Amino acid sequence: MAKTRDIQRRIKSVNNTKKITRAMEMVAATKMRRATEAVLRTRAYADLSWRIALSLAANKKNGETVHPLLVRREKVKKVALILFSSNRGLCGSYNSAVINKAEQSIRKHEKQTGAEIDFFLVGKKGAAVYRYFGYNIAAEFKKEDTIAGLEASAPIASLAVGGFLQGDYDKILIAYTDYLSALKQVPRIKQILPISLDAPDEYLGFTENFSRAAAWPASEEFLFEPSPAAVLEEMLPRLVGMQIYQAMLEANASEHSARMAAMHQATAAAGDMASELTQHYNKSRQAAITAEIAEIAAGADAITAE
Amino acid sequence: MADKILQFEIVTPERVLVKENILQVTAPTVQGEITILPGHIPLVSVLASGVLEIARPDKSRTVISVSGGFIQVAGDKVVILADTAEKAEEIDLVRVEEAKARAVKTKNEAKTLDTRQFTALSAKISKELARSQAVKRWKKLNNLN
Repeated sequence: MAKTRDIQRRIKSVNNTKKITRAMEMVAATKMRRATEAVLRTRAYADLSWRIALSLAANKKNGETVHPLLVRREKVKKVALILFSSNRGLCGSYNSAVINKAEQSIRKHEKQTGAEIDFFLVGKKGAAVYRYFGYNIAAEFKKEDTIAGLEASAPIASLAVGGFLQGDYDKILIAYTDYLSALKQVPRIKQILPISLDAPDEYLGFTENFSRAAAWPASEEFLFEPSPAAVLEEMLPRLVGMQIYQAMLEANASEHSARMAAMHQATAAAGDMASELTQHYNKSRQAAITAEIAEIAAGADAITAE
Repeated sequence: MADKILQFEIVTPERVLVKENILQVTAPTVQGEITILPGHIPLVSVLASGVLEIARPDKSRTVISVSGGFIQVAGDKVVILADTAEKAEEIDLVRVEEAKARAVKTKNEAKTLDTRQFTALSAKISKELARSQAVKRWKKLNNLN
């Protein structure tokens, strides 16, 4: 009988786990709904501002004053990478996917120049970059589950722009998970500073529906009113801030979707396991009964034989 | 006529407000109002808060209030990234006047505003002012009271 009781105990614990994962799935689903609304609302604005930023970068060769945020530095000594991850686990491969993407890109584009890499983390799980790859972590920001507004990304943006202008960093990248749908999220890496078309395609957010050629008629020279310096000074930090904000929203929506999917799978797996265990339980119970009957029958036989 | 059309788009962080083909747009920049017609040279400028007006090929016009942002003209594309933007017909004038009065009152009463609060309030006032102007302009345009 000991065996059947063990199985019973396991069934109970599996069912408890199932309840928890189902609850977590529900929570993630509500959070996802809100996060998705937010990300879709600002996406048009963010995409357009990125296109405009790139078109301004393409436009710089007119001999006029060039804004420092558009200038590509010849020698890249130090790179900052802002990594958006989650605070908690239980979200499938969400964190490892974006961390691996960052690592791959660094190996592909940055390692051969011998640049030093500093990480800025948003979300606790990003700390794994240090554990696995030994990268230096320069700052860690708190990640909120729901993002209030543009102010949420302001400290990161000012740190990035400030660090770039002061020459602490020669390049600023962001790594985040792009929210495509509730079922599909893709990790991406983007070069936000300098805003330059000389960066690899991968860094500029070019995809199938947004190619380098389509970025903007590059040959055109813009007239700036009142002056290039005044316009760009006002505009570029805002455009960069918007990119960081959008990345934050994308990451958030992706995280909640990933968690929802992971928890959904866990719930299904727990259900499968419980039914399998129930079968085992029934079998072993039956076996026990059969054995008992056999024993009784044998005992009865022995008595009648005497 | 195909070349006399502007592809116009006005986008805010909240939504895409307008995306259509138009004949001309008049926008408030920090240096004063500008009107853009097809064939304009490429331009980038900073928007002030104020009233923006677009004219469509079918002669209809739309008045929009904006509160700061950027305008970019490239080829036959006009793109406006606005901080906030609203169509005049969607604005409730009574509530705008109330909001403006409230903001002005806070600004006048508060003695210990730091720079950030002050800028925020000033921006709020000019935004409400732009909205009420937009409504008035729209009413005039449509000969309403």
